[in-house]
Amino acid sequence: MENTTQESHLRSENSVTYESPYPLYAMALSSTSQTRTRNHRIAVGSFIEEYANRVEILSFDAETLTLTSQPELSFDHPYPPTKLMFHPSSLQKSFDVLASSGDYLRLWEVRDGSIEPISVLNNSKTSEFCAPLTSFDWNDVEPRRIGTSSIDTTCTVWDIEKCVVETQLIAHDKEVYDIAWGEARVFASVSADGSVRIFDLRDKEHSTIIYESPQPDTPLLRLAWNKQDLRYMATTLMDSNKVVILDIRSPTMPVAELERHRASVNAIAWAPQSYRHICSAGDDTQALIWELPTVAGPNGIDPMSMYSAGAEINQLQWSAAQPDWISIAFSNKIQLLKV
Amino acid sequence: METGLQKEERVPENLKKQLALAVFRLLSFCSKPNWFDLMDWVLEWSEGYYNGDIKTRKTVQAVELNADQIGLQRSEQLRALYESLSAGEASPQARRPSAALSPEDLSETEWYYLVCMSFVFHTGQGLPGRTLANGQPIWLYNAPFADSKVFSRSLLAKSALIQTVVCFPFLGGVIELGVTDLVLEDYALIEQVKVSILEIPYTKSSKKTDRSADRGLASISTPVAGREEINMSSPSDSSNGLEPNQPAEDSFMVEGINGAASQVQSWQVMDDEVSNCVPHSMDSSDCISQTIVDPEKVASSPKHEMAEDHRVQDLQECNQTKMSSLDLRSEDIHYKGVISTLFKSSHQLILGPNFQSFHQESSFVSWKKGRVAKKPRAGASQKLVKKILFEVPRMHVKHMIDSPEDNGNKNGVWRPEADEVGVNHALSERRRRERLNEKFSILKTMVPSLTKDDKVSILDDAIEYLKELERRVEELECCRASADLDLKTRRKPQDAREGTSDNYGNKKNINGKKPLMNKRKACDMDEAGPDMNHAVSRDSSAHSIAVSMKNKDVVIKIKCPWRDRLLLEIIDSLSSLDLDSHSVQSSTVDGIISLTIQSMIKGSNPASAATIKQAIQRLAWNC
Repeated sequence: MENTTQESHLRSENSVTYESPYPLYAMALSSTSQTRTRNHRIAVGSFIEEYANRVEILSFDAETLTLTSQPELSFDHPYPPTKLMFHPSSLQKSFDVLASSGDYLRLWEVRDGSIEPISVLNNSKTSEFCAPLTSFDWNDVEPRRIGTSSIDTTCTVWDIEKCVVETQLIAHDKEVYDIAWGEARVFASVSADGSVRIFDLRDKEHSTIIYESPQPDTPLLRLAWNKQDLRYMATTLMDSNKVVILDIRSPTMPVAELERHRASVNAIAWAPQSYRHICSAGDDTQALIWELPTVAGPNGIDPMSMYSAGAEINQLQWSAAQPDWISIAFSNKIQLLKV
Repeated sequence: METGLQKEERVPENLKKQLALAVFRLLSFCSKPNWFDLMDWVLEWSEGYYNGDIKTRKTVQAVELNADQIGLQRSEQLRALYESLSAGEASPQARRPSAALSPEDLSETEWYYLVCMSFVFHTGQGLPGRTLANGQPIWLYNAPFADSKVFSRSLLAKSALIQTVVCFPFLGGVIELGVTDLVLEDYALIEQVKVSILEIPYTKSSKKTDRSADRGLASISTPVAGREEINMSSPSDSSNGLEPNQPAEDSFMVEGINGAASQVQSWQVMDDEVSNCVPHSMDSSDCISQTIVDPEKVASSPKHEMAEDHRVQDLQECNQTKMSSLDLRSEDIHYKGVISTLFKSSHQLILGPNFQSFHQESSFVSWKKGRVAKKPRAGASQKLVKKILFEVPRMHVKHMIDSPEDNGNKNGVWRPEADEVGVNHALSERRRRERLNEKFSILKTMVPSLTKDDKVSILDDAIEYLKELERRVEELECCRASADLDLKTRRKPQDAREGTSDNYGNKKNINGKKPLMNKRKACDMDEAGPDMNHAVSRDSSAHSIAVSMKNKDVVIKIKCPWRDRLLLEIIDSLSSLDLDSHSVQSSTVDGIISLTIQSMIKGSNPASAATIKQAIQRLAWNC
């Protein structure tokens, strides 16, 4: 019976693709769920190695499976945004707030027919110049807080309501590549120095190194904190096909290494509603969904399911508002996949 | 080992034990019983054993359990999960630390098993009901495609890939077996099952002990009247990598009977206390654990992982077909009720959202080890990510250096000092460039009649200007040499000429004026230096105020004698003219202040350049 299973991945009704004029990298899914009046929004940032770049806002309708560009909402961005993210709280009133990082942290107000810059946040007291940002994370427990990571080895915590720097920490010995909040006052970051460090804003003097890459100074590129079970986080290494799963209770020893990608991993995302599922995507064009077993077998962990895209997948987001959709970005396309 | 579900129901209490045992015997065959109680002509789930595909194992096992033990343990966990869910226990968090299962841990066959626990059959209703009513076994192939009137759980079975369902009466109850393989009718198998159930003696143990013992038994509620259902399903790969084994199924194959016939009868059932049953099952588990099945490896069908989505889809199909039959509808409602209860108490459920929009199946296919993935393309790995992390920041740095004015104009004052933070080379380089840019911008303000803003133009203009100054110095020196008195008369035309270039005085101050001033001082009257300067600037001040407007941007360049609060007053007066000053540069040399103010027109009726000039003039003169 049921031979539909095999074919299911061929059908188009379980995925939607949008093709942009530009190569894409940054991508964000709005945290407001679809309503009668408003569709789910998706922001995508172009990747053009020049000054002029573009952020587009798409509208996703899960009912009709359409993904439409809203040209009136697109805006210019100086150089490619390194990250895009929507305000994590779905309690926002009539508009969404989008943040982008690059030279500065910028906030944008996305309304139905317009998009307006709200603020440009520069953390340097002495100069217009602020070291470029590699990434940021919006604190979903305390949404007025955004943490940014920078190539100047620092992480900066912003109060975006007051537009002031709450604190700036020299977090690592080298460039900081990604940052992720755990709790309202706790964040972790990864760096070119190869370490994952946890910071607590209540004790800024100390940080805890919970992982260091095996070959010293292999940069760690991406970090994702499991919001459903804060004991776990995942990180990726430069030029590595591994997703390293860490348990903050057992520093230095990863609890699992997911090694079924056939090329380097580019992006990871925990399931928004399950504490033991994670999705990873990489240069092997695959997106893999993993279920973390309680006890890993001797032969390593196999993924639960997979999807193969047409090109290297550079970006991956798992929608918190619509957890049955995963979106990926490859070449100049973004694609929403039914989980 | 085999994936299977079994349900049993029984009437007499004593028999319960034996049923439990039988169930466990069945374990050794790798089938799994669920137990149904028959109460008030109603069959309820009583006990069961699950031995199928397991998605997530929750227990940390110090000791390897054999297949039976695992099955027993799983059965108990499932039962516990069902109980906690149906009790509305709303804190999955609380449950999690223990080895207990959460809904998201379940494979689809486990779902089937779990949901079956919630079913209640009136006599003659559904497969178990009819079996009990008939007293005849029912053997149903292709269960997913069975008429929903015959097999109300067909959609559910479809999602769980249950192919064959066998019901037979046993000791006043019904045993139902569900298997994920197509199994031909084989009544010898049923007999074998019955015998094995009856053979095993049972002892009593308490449920609590059972739990504390790390191996779980199927938790069994006390069945009063029973119907037994046994599902045997052949497993597909479990994600844990367990090899599914198909036990002696082939030997069970016999000729089949068409099990679709059913008759309605009412059965009276006696109630039993549920708690009594539990201990029995425990004991039986011990017995079972001794019988170890040597499993054959069976090629497995890979579809299990997809279960969640199937469920969803099935659910939806359920909804769609709801109208087709009343019976079916009630089953659907029941199923939906169970599902929604489960989901309500577990927000963690990964499948939850599927229920909001269940049009689609997953884009993902289950992963297979051997699956040929596309060869990764040659070339740099993580190309884009690396560019974002390594190169884009450099683009920003470079951009800042190349066009400081952009930033300055857009974002306010261009502040020259370096960050303290910088550690690496890029940063110190950046600071150096920053300083360079700052100096350029100062130079720019000092050089009049700038054509363009780029660095080369600034330098060009500066060179031109310096040459001009040198010329003038020369000129002045030779004039002065001619006569002291001539100097004064000559100065006026000179001032007039300065007026043509905005920042003339400014420049003169810095580049060439000092010697000139000294000379002037020397040759002028014996007044004090400041007075002298004062006089000079007074004369020229009318010409050293320049106002240029471009759209809303107003650039004001002033050179005048310095005094207390002058700057403040100028800014004030500008803002009273509806000008918003966002950038001010000033330098004071020898009592002469040189100001460059960049402002924006705020109001809708902007003051004219002349008005602005006048206002500033007043202040500049008022010294």
